[in-house]
Amino acid sequence: MEAKKTNKKREPGFLRMETNLFDRIFIGVVIFVAIHLLWMRFLESSISLTVASIISLVLIFVIAKWG
Amino acid sequence: MKQSARRKGLKQVFLYIVWIALTLITLFPIYWMFLISARSRVELFSNRNLYQTTIFWENFVRPLFQGVYGQYVVNSLIVATGNTLLVVVLAVLAAYALSRYRVKGGQNIFFWTITNRMAPPAAFMLPLFLLYSRVLRIGDLQLYDTHIGLILVYCVFNLPFAIWLLKGIIDGIPTSLDDAARVDGASTVGIIRRIIVPLAAPGIAITALLAWIFAWNEFLFATTLTSVKARTITTGLVEFVTVVGTNWGEMAAMAIISLLPALLFLVLVQRYIIAGLTFGAVRE
Amino acid sequence: MKSSKTAWGLLAPTLIILGLVGLLPFIYVLYVGFHDWMIFAKVSGLVWAGVDNYRELVFDEDFLAALGRGLRFTIWTVSIQMVLGLLLAHLLMKKFKGRGFFRAIHALPLTVAPLVVGATWRLLTIPGLGPLPFYLNKIGIDYNIGWSAQQAFFTTVLMHIWHWTPFVTLTFLAGLSALPKEPFEGAMVDGANQWQIFRYIFLPMLKPVILIALFLRIMDALRIVDEVWMLTGGGPGTATRYVGIHIWRVVFPMTNYGYGSAMSVLLLYFIIVVCWLLLTVITQAKREAGT
Repeated sequence: MEAKKTNKKREPGFLRMETNLFDRIFIGVVIFVAIHLLWMRFLESSISLTVASIISLVLIFVIAKWG
Repeated sequence: MKQSARRKGLKQVFLYIVWIALTLITLFPIYWMFLISARSRVELFSNRNLYQTTIFWENFVRPLFQGVYGQYVVNSLIVATGNTLLVVVLAVLAAYALSRYRVKGGQNIFFWTITNRMAPPAAFMLPLFLLYSRVLRIGDLQLYDTHIGLILVYCVFNLPFAIWLLKGIIDGIPTSLDDAARVDGASTVGIIRRIIVPLAAPGIAITALLAWIFAWNEFLFATTLTSVKARTITTGLVEFVTVVGTNWGEMAAMAIISLLPALLFLVLVQRYIIAGLTFGAVRE
Repeated sequence: MKSSKTAWGLLAPTLIILGLVGLLPFIYVLYVGFHDWMIFAKVSGLVWAGVDNYRELVFDEDFLAALGRGLRFTIWTVSIQMVLGLLLAHLLMKKFKGRGFFRAIHALPLTVAPLVVGATWRLLTIPGLGPLPFYLNKIGIDYNIGWSAQQAFFTTVLMHIWHWTPFVTLTFLAGLSALPKEPFEGAMVDGANQWQIFRYIFLPMLKPVILIALFLRIMDALRIVDEVWMLTGGGPGTATRYVGIHIWRVVFPMTNYGYGSAMSVLLLYFIIVVCWLLLTVITQAKREAGT
């Protein structure tokens, strides 16, 4: 019955726990928001926020793919 | 042997002392409120006794029958009962679905419903207020300050809670019963009505009770989403605290009134409370 | 085998209602949070503001302080409640006459409305009327929660413990009553002492229940509003203005709905993260217990 699920459970990636795609995207978005908030507070005076967006988008992709 | 019996006796005594102390701590604030509600304004600040022989009925009568609080009590009754009925019916259906079927992303749906329960009402108040009073309106028809508006909004915290409790209970009913009924040609609704509901009745009762109490006790949504017509008794309590001074006696009296139904229900179902609170955490 | 269409049919009404009162406000608050919406401005309606609201928010010391206060309150109350609840459940498990009666009394605070709890504690603590300042004064302690920030904070903690410890106890008792009795009896026969039974049988067997109770208590403590509001009104000063109260009291009178929405979103984000982390730990623990 497990196999019927489309959000297939698979071997844990570098997050070291069982996750489906939804879980990993969720984690990615949480990190995305956290990076932006911290960036605005501490780094934005010197580095533009766009850099944060790029970094976090890459992170979301990495987590969704290999997490 | 004798010594161990004595130790056991001592232990019993110790237990009783702990429980009696706890009972006193638990009851004292409520008892004090009762004392305040039985005293007139003058007596409040002069009488420091921890007992009371007279009751100043004015505190109860004036707000209930001359003030608006009678109406508030009625509003609270309508909203809590309506919400409980809605929540229990929907939660039985949903819990059955989550318990018996493998729904795609069922885990995620479950997580989402729980998030609703956990979400701080403070964070939802502004958008709900704006939606109720400005966005979701047709002409003069709006959800703001209506009973139905409150009944719907209380689903936010009651529905996930009810689903959570009931799912644990329905999980405990063997599926073989469903299958047998299905072979006999019963529909899904028939199975829920004739097998699940009777077997889960104690669980459903405790769920309904808790949902009713939560709805009756709710304050934040009630105070932001109503203004005159649908105000509930908890919002009324705050109205006693005014800049010109608080009528403590009347406030305590209304607080006592708001306690009564919860007390009554507690007495009725106290034996089921523990059985109902397992949250599906322990498999039997 | 069974069609999942039926399942969706059964779930539909729930999803519709939660969508209306749960998801829709969420999406709406996200949307408004990226706008400026001044109710008294010349341009009425929403003006796109990008992340400006959030930029302002991460530097908003009042908000961050309220968040910190809420956390401090949560840590104090929840840890004490868990310890007390564990001890009481351990005690209440023993059979003795009148157990049902004591349990029912113990459950009483649970049914009291948070607002009424606030009101009762206020009646206990107002100077000149309440017994608490009166008797504490007699033994030489100057107790006034309208004046001392420290005392106000710990009074709110005490009130919350009074109100919610029974919930923890009862949840543990529920968990216990579903557990097999043999390990306890076996340990008794083997001559294990109270502490060993507590540490090596009680705690591990109850782990899933403990985690769930912890989860529920943390969530409730973080979003506390009405009890504390009724007791102290968030005062003295801002000493007991926890994050929920801050949002409730600051957002509504504020004329910028956009900024208020952003604040709500940030609190939600924070809560969802904590909620998710705890739930992950719980499912992990359950899985370990299950296999």
